[in-house]
Amino acid sequence: MKLWGQPVHPLTSIARELRLTVFEMINSAKSGHLGGSFSVLDIMTVLYFTNIFNFDRDHFILSPGHLSATLYAILGKIGKIPESSLPTFSQIDSILESHTNSQVPGVEFSSGALGQGLSFASGLALGDKGHHTICLTTDGEHDEGQIWEAIMFANKYHLGNLINIIDCNHMQIGGSTDEIMPLDELAAKYIRFGWTVQTIDGHNFYQLEKALKTAKNSTIYPACIIAKTTMGKGISFMENDYHYHDVKKLSPEIYQKAISELSK
Amino acid sequence: MRSAFADTLFDLAKDDPNLYVVSVGLRPSVLMDKFAQHYKTHFIECGVAENNAAGISAGLAKSGKNVFLCTYACFSPGINLATIKQSICENNLSVKIIGYHGGLLTGELGASHQMLEDIALMRSLPTMEVFAPLDAIETVKMTKVLAKSSKPTYMRLVRPDSPEAYPHKKGFTIGKSEILESGSDVTILGYGPILTQALNLEISNWKLEIINCSSIKPIDEKTILKSIKKTGRCLVVEDHQMAGGLGEAVATLILKSGLKCKFTQIGVDNQFGRSSLDPLDLYRLYGLSTTDIITKINYLMSKK
Repeated sequence: MKLWGQPVHPLTSIARELRLTVFEMINSAKSGHLGGSFSVLDIMTVLYFTNIFNFDRDHFILSPGHLSATLYAILGKIGKIPESSLPTFSQIDSILESHTNSQVPGVEFSSGALGQGLSFASGLALGDKGHHTICLTTDGEHDEGQIWEAIMFANKYHLGNLINIIDCNHMQIGGSTDEIMPLDELAAKYIRFGWTVQTIDGHNFYQLEKALKTAKNSTIYPACIIAKTTMGKGISFMENDYHYHDVKKLSPEIYQKAISELSK
Repeated sequence: MRSAFADTLFDLAKDDPNLYVVSVGLRPSVLMDKFAQHYKTHFIECGVAENNAAGISAGLAKSGKNVFLCTYACFSPGINLATIKQSICENNLSVKIIGYHGGLLTGELGASHQMLEDIALMRSLPTMEVFAPLDAIETVKMTKVLAKSSKPTYMRLVRPDSPEAYPHKKGFTIGKSEILESGSDVTILGYGPILTQALNLEISNWKLEIINCSSIKPIDEKTILKSIKKTGRCLVVEDHQMAGGLGEAVATLILKSGLKCKFTQIGVDNQFGRSSLDPLDLYRLYGLSTTDIITKINYLMSKK
């Protein structure tokens, strides 16, 4: 079966299922970062449901800790944590905290304060040169100076085993990244800082797989993948609307409308 | 104290292939030239970027390395507190943060470089343990012990040389304080070289019990309270803001225990430091001198 000229990727159904899981987690908690969680979901699906990397040995560092729901949903699906625990998201007696918590099996980095993940990932990549460290950051997070400190560091120490995937959805909590703090030519900046750069569609599984395989083969240059994404991807009326950066209680109408779109 | 630490770390690295030093652009000042030359691949230079350095340290520790993050206390934790909190403490990683240039003893470098808030910042972080050696001898003992720790760790050093101030008989133990002089009239608690001013004081009238609280967190509750119970009078001496320091920690212990005692403090009182070519002039100006210690002891003894 073909859709828009490309065969439907086998990961499509997994991503659809994960979106439903993440949506239910956030809806039942009446709290969560829906927009970004859907923005990064296809990227993380490729990371965890292909054999390009093996996260029993390689490392995945999710710098934006507020996108925890997607990581927890994946860890549930691959059996690192019980799927039955997912509805406890953000509850007081649950380890599935709103922002990532390294006490959760499979979570390597407690996060929440932005801008720290790439430094942590760089240290880890330096200390474990035999394996790959994949960091996921966001474009909004690049406002933080610490990210640029880490970018320089990774170049200096030739961290060819480090990959930084940037979730570029051009949105952050208060509006567009262009309005809040323009990043302008992000790819050119990374290149000038000594990284290799690939720019891809962050919702296209074929492009994601190819880019990750290319990045994995880098030997001395840290690899950046600029993944162009859509905030809230999968629920049409939430897409590119920064008001859905984080959500509280959803009305029954919104809930139903979203579920019917996600179930298609 | 700085050279005692640097030399000890150099020696430890011979037997510990996992030992790493993370530097933040101050290699000569933190006396790491020799380490950097000898252990090239284990000396990681981050440049003047304290937040990244704390994150790199955390990542290295995650990969199993024994990491010492070495720079001035005014920059680490002074600048990178949030990275220490999240990347190191929330992830429960054993990075040893070495804060050089603690206190007014930093001298002519002035307010920006005299770190007077490090103990307060570090002891408030969950999982973090906090230490400050008395002199060069204790620095050596402490460094060897902390190198084996599996917890987030902060150690404060001071700038001037502080050779052996006291013939240490015991080894350093985490969570233990050492009684340097025994007495029955006033308990004097403190850490770092400022406490040595209380040793051999010429006060023939009073018998002082001087306790080295170099393990600030965990604190040696038992030794401290036992002494205060005996003397009924407590003076805490520290080259740090009074807010959040050892004085507040001890005051909390006393209040929780229900012990009745007379209590006072020596420390910096809600002020910034300033330059002085002789750091001891700062002790006189800010009320941290030997004379001030004697005045406080007399004050405690005058209270019924």
